[in-house]
Amino acid sequence: MLTRCLMMRQIARALAFIAFAGIVAMFFVPIVWMISTALKPLDRVFALPIEWVPADPRWDNFVTAWNRFTFGRYFVNSLVVTISVTGIHCVLAAFAGYGFAKYRFFGNRLLFLAILSTMMLPIEVVIVPTFLIVRDLGWLNTYQGLVVPVIADAFGVFLMRQFMLRIPDALIEAARIDGAHEVKIFFRIVLPLSWAPAVTLAVFMWRETWDAFVWPFVIITQNDLRTLPLGIARFQEEFVTTYNEVMAVAVIGMIPLALMFLFFQRAFVQGIALSGLKE
Amino acid sequence: MSVQVLDRKARPRPSVRGLRAALTSGVARNQLWGAVFVLPLLILFVVFKFYPMVQAFWLSLNDYDLLTPPRFIGLRNYVRLVGDPLFRQSAGATAYYVIGTCVPLWVLSLGAALAFNQAIPAKNILRAAFFMPVIMPAIVVAIIWKFLYHPYGLVNTGLQALGLAGVDWLADSAAVMPAFILAGEWRLIPYFMIIYLAGLQAIPHEYYEAAAIDGASSVQRFRHITLALLRPTILLVIIVSVILTSKVFVNALVITNGGPNGATRVIPLFIYQHAFTYFKMGLASAASVILLLVLMIFTIVQLWLFSETDEPA
Repeated sequence: MLTRCLMMRQIARALAFIAFAGIVAMFFVPIVWMISTALKPLDRVFALPIEWVPADPRWDNFVTAWNRFTFGRYFVNSLVVTISVTGIHCVLAAFAGYGFAKYRFFGNRLLFLAILSTMMLPIEVVIVPTFLIVRDLGWLNTYQGLVVPVIADAFGVFLMRQFMLRIPDALIEAARIDGAHEVKIFFRIVLPLSWAPAVTLAVFMWRETWDAFVWPFVIITQNDLRTLPLGIARFQEEFVTTYNEVMAVAVIGMIPLALMFLFFQRAFVQGIALSGLKE
Repeated sequence: MSVQVLDRKARPRPSVRGLRAALTSGVARNQLWGAVFVLPLLILFVVFKFYPMVQAFWLSLNDYDLLTPPRFIGLRNYVRLVGDPLFRQSAGATAYYVIGTCVPLWVLSLGAALAFNQAIPAKNILRAAFFMPVIMPAIVVAIIWKFLYHPYGLVNTGLQALGLAGVDWLADSAAVMPAFILAGEWRLIPYFMIIYLAGLQAIPHEYYEAAAIDGASSVQRFRHITLALLRPTILLVIIVSVILTSKVFVNALVITNGGPNGATRVIPLFIYQHAFTYFKMGLASAASVILLLVLMIFTIVQLWLFSETDEPA
């Protein structure tokens, strides 16, 4: 009786696991379908039964699609913008986080809360005035237009400040007594201690910026300044029914972030777990 | 997200030992160097966040087409929006999408997190597979779903395999929103699962052990330990998910461009079209301000609700 009860429980557990794995697989299926479509000839795209692994994979779909547009240029643009935003943001956010965490200046708390409150502010709400400012600066269709406004992001300030609050004051005070300059204290003591949140932040900003669509879409009209997402969007508009090539382009668009996830899985997941407040 | 209040020590009094001494004192150091470190980013925030927010309010009171100077018209943009059937449809579509996506999302992402918090075989592989939608760029997500909802796409193929009739998802104004909601869930469930999982892992194991020793059932443990201690996470998930879904843009633009018959012209797309296609900057700003106010009220009400009610008994 007891053994039968145990066996039933084990079977129930196994069934639950299979159901769970099935649900998880359903999240993965669209991606498999995308990749397999990218490798099919156009006339086999909707063929039934579905060929999950194409018998004769057409790798040249990728080459044809890539060469239809100046995708190399889009890729470089995305790279330039993403590296600039991530690099500059991390430095400035570390500065600001340190300032907020370790100096008692006038308006410290109020300013920090003001910055924090912009985390709740979707870009759509300020897109018109931001567009007008960037236009008045003469930055439409420029790299600086793509980079500078995006650097003002609150998550990094929040993350760095919370971490730096935990660095003991005594450590900084000791360096000061030894005659170290404030800037030197930051670079020699505070920054080396703050690598962990800095990496999380860098991975987070990289993903955000690489993925950015709305802002570039609004300020970029010149072809040679398009970022990769904009190029992909135009490709699928122009070649709507060339499904295999559209999917090939989608796969290409997915690869950089997939690689990043592979190498920085921890920081990647942590950025999301910590933030929540950003897309 | 709870913000730790600065532990402010009593501020030292201004020194009277002369200017030189004052400049090297703790007070001056705090004032000066605090400003030096904070200022670079703060300037960017003023120019690209704080000023645009004020400007959005001001623009919403003006008629502005980019070519002629803005003309002050008071609240007329708001009056026009309230009476505009397109805006009402847009607000309705946004509400449908936000509520339709968020309510199942809160439950399903918690369910997924609870499942992944168990000891299960091949957990890492399953979790990586489950997480894939999150690492997709938004534009790729839009393209994938546009293709999945093709009349001969995978969704209809699946339905037909089950003996059901296919649906022309993107051309049918009744079917398109459920289709959008499903696409939204695909990317958002794994995303919020991560946030819930972080919350679950912060709950000490001893609590469950102690409760089990005291004879608490698993339902009781779930209610009184898991749910009770997850309250801050739940609050965060509710607020963030509503903000995230209310700014849906790429899907609406790429999959349907607001169609069919405006069924997916959500507010962000409405704002975009009025600003950058019809050049009605004032009207678009008024729509932005309305969106912002609704989100702010929602957030404040949530914060208030969660601080008012006691721990679930």
